[in-house]
Amino acid sequence: MRAMETGQMSGNGKRTAMAAAEEEKAYIHWLYQAAGMGSRGFLRALEPFGTPREIYGMTLSGALSEKLSERFQKKAARMSEFSRGYDVAGAYGRMRERGIFLVTAGEPQFPERLKRIPDPPCVLYCAGRLPQEGKKAVAVIGARDCTEYGRYMAGQFGEALAKADVQVVSGMARGVDGIGQSAALRAGGYSFGVLGCGVDICYPRENRSLYEALLADGGVCSEYPPGTEPRGILFPPRNRIISGLSDAVLVVEARERSGTLITVDMALEQGKEVYALPGRATDPLSGGCNRLIRQGAGLVSSPKELLGELLEGIAGDDARQPKTAQGRLVFLEGVQGQLWEILDFDPLPVQELQRRYEERYGKTIALPALFRELLELCAGGCAGQMGGGYFMRALKT
Amino acid sequence: MFSTITSGAVYGVHSHLIQVEVDISQGLPCFQIVGLPGSEVREARERVKVALKNVGVRLPPMCINVNLSPADLPKNGTMFDLPVAVGIMTALGKVKQEAVDGTLLLGELGLSGELKPVRGVLPIAREGARQGIRRCVLPAGNAWEAALVGDMESIGVGNVKEAAALLAGEEISVPAPTAAPDEGAEKEEALDFSQINGQQGLKRAAEVAAAGFHNLLIIGAPGSGKTMLARRIPSVLPPLTAEESLEVSTIYSICGRLHAAGALRTIRPFLNPHHTITGRALAGGGRIPMPGVISLAHRGVLFLDELPEFKRETLDILRQPLEDKRVQIARSSGSYVYPADFMLVGAMNPCPCGFYPDRARCRCTPFEVRRYLNRVSGPILDRMDICVEAAPMAFADMTSGRREETSAQVRERVMAARKRQEHRFAGTGIHFNADMGAGDVERYCVLGETELRYMERMFSCLQLSARAYHRILKVARTIADLDDSAGIGEIHLAEAICYRQSDHKYWNGGGDAE
Repeated sequence: MRAMETGQMSGNGKRTAMAAAEEEKAYIHWLYQAAGMGSRGFLRALEPFGTPREIYGMTLSGALSEKLSERFQKKAARMSEFSRGYDVAGAYGRMRERGIFLVTAGEPQFPERLKRIPDPPCVLYCAGRLPQEGKKAVAVIGARDCTEYGRYMAGQFGEALAKADVQVVSGMARGVDGIGQSAALRAGGYSFGVLGCGVDICYPRENRSLYEALLADGGVCSEYPPGTEPRGILFPPRNRIISGLSDAVLVVEARERSGTLITVDMALEQGKEVYALPGRATDPLSGGCNRLIRQGAGLVSSPKELLGELLEGIAGDDARQPKTAQGRLVFLEGVQGQLWEILDFDPLPVQELQRRYEERYGKTIALPALFRELLELCAGGCAGQMGGGYFMRALKT
Repeated sequence: MFSTITSGAVYGVHSHLIQVEVDISQGLPCFQIVGLPGSEVREARERVKVALKNVGVRLPPMCINVNLSPADLPKNGTMFDLPVAVGIMTALGKVKQEAVDGTLLLGELGLSGELKPVRGVLPIAREGARQGIRRCVLPAGNAWEAALVGDMESIGVGNVKEAAALLAGEEISVPAPTAAPDEGAEKEEALDFSQINGQQGLKRAAEVAAAGFHNLLIIGAPGSGKTMLARRIPSVLPPLTAEESLEVSTIYSICGRLHAAGALRTIRPFLNPHHTITGRALAGGGRIPMPGVISLAHRGVLFLDELPEFKRETLDILRQPLEDKRVQIARSSGSYVYPADFMLVGAMNPCPCGFYPDRARCRCTPFEVRRYLNRVSGPILDRMDICVEAAPMAFADMTSGRREETSAQVRERVMAARKRQEHRFAGTGIHFNADMGAGDVERYCVLGETELRYMERMFSCLQLSARAYHRILKVARTIADLDDSAGIGEIHLAEAICYRQSDHKYWNGGGDAE
């Protein structure tokens, strides 16, 4: 593929280099669509035949299949089938009109950090803005089914990183990924999403508002052409791009066996720093983090510590104080304060709270009174209710 | 050669008296029944013929015509066997017409002439009494049912010969109708709140629901005691009043489940249909409409275990009855109305595996959890006034040996709250706080200045919906009633708010990125 991209200047002497590059990209776009998913071997086999434009010509004339070995005949047939009636310039133009652009590995705007990883993508389909080279970038990643603790910490880190002008890279997934990115954008920072589907598709659907915000104030990219539907096999390879685009990877929450750990492996392979947020030994969603720490990952317990490692002399907020939605510190008094002490990030049933209260303070508390105080905490944003009778600490960001 | 016998039939929960007219005249020998007889009624011919022969009454070779009047009502059931047989004997002059005037006859005949119990005796006897009939002759197994109706002499007989002898004025000894004790009641009394260890939150919610007859949704892991609690709810409900008892017994009589029980229902019914139940079995229906499970649960508890497993269409059938407190079934033969004023208790797991939010055991994705919860249709969830979480049992609770409150103790409080409601709603047709409409809520759930401000604050902080607001007020009214408080206080409102349905956003937990 490198050969194709560097060979693009020949034969187009009269036109400007820019327009020529655009035209060549139209053919690259065609090639990626025509070859389909999972065609890395095939694309490598095509490399000796010339630029994508030349391959296009060979495909139409039927010369391509003659040159290819037996095992690629099927692919070649699919390609010529796809190319029949395909409008190369038109299809590319329509894509550009939708605000999606293509960056090849040979171009100067291709992210520098990504060029240095062992297996960089040949092209990136992007929308929005690409991350800036001069600024630090951190991948905030973690479980999709995160706990309230994970939600809170992801939000805190996202916000603090944004405020320290650090770019937040992640996969726009449910849970930690999306929360960290949302928080960064809300705080006025920059965030970049690496998708496992076409950049024109919002997956998961519930992250629509984040997706829109990324297009407006950040960016998204994918190595797959627009229109590619999300499929399970497409997601692990994109993790190398997440870590590749970042200077450090922060794991907020992960189970012992988690997809998040794929990204960590990639990061280690690429020589990036890995940080993990510690959790309790009993918490299954912190199992992965705790193991990473044992294996030598950096332990960070607040955004301040992470920023201290990344940059020098940056002060962040301390995370371990109850805060309201406005970020103000609140001082809880009396029964509410006592209740906040026995609440947990894991939701607890009321009778359990009643018993803990009795055990800890030696006083009984009647259910109606307990309900009233808990509700007061909920209304103040210091607690959350789940279902009819579960309460937990909720520190909303 | 002509006779008229009074009998009756049930339509929905209402009954009509039916005149059975028999005429025997010269002509080609025949035996026919007219007046829209259903197949059971048409078969009465054969049963009557054989039964009469076996008790020694020979039918003459003449033309026997039986008409069931009013002739435009479809007739179903086997209760016309006895009237037809007695009608023939009267037309043959073996029984005097005067002897059968003013007597209600019902009963199914066996081929030997013996009489078998039939369904719907209670409503028919009530209708008869209303129309001035003072005596009824019916199978011995049904006699006690008619005896429940005041001003009605109920005579139970063993076979058609006895019936004829009785009507002819002969002295025969028949046992006095006695009702057996309600066996169901005994069995249900064995279920007691004190058998549930711990689960204070759940029990409290059940108490509030019982006091105001609120619909209750219990969400919890398998084995957390959802079903155990639901089964014990009737034990804390106030007993049926005399009027309610008659209503409930009528429905059971129509379904033929009263004579089997052998007594008037005094305990509130508890019905827990399996989730494979069809819509027709739930709401009632059939070619010959019969009350469904929701009508059998009238004035009692309808418990739907594993709510999301019920077919959506089946659950949606409940929407109208939950609103109207009755179910209307229209068939080509007519439209039938069955009462269906029940307390709906639903139980469900929080997620497909059942352990959410315990992250150590539950590996369901937020998406799976949401899809599972969405299987229950919104309008049904909207009718749930109280939503409560059943937490897995703590070991300490199981072994604490603490004496738990008995149903009788809880029921005492419920009864006191019930008294307050009776007093409040006297003459309005409202039975319980849960029956209040939007207008009634405004009238009966007046908040003071401080409480209003409290609600305003909670409304904005917790993002409550307008729909939730009325539900909260109704439940708060019940909690205040339990507290024996005339006004609704903050503490009552707070508890009611905690029982609201968690909005789906929270359910998703770490779901969306917001």
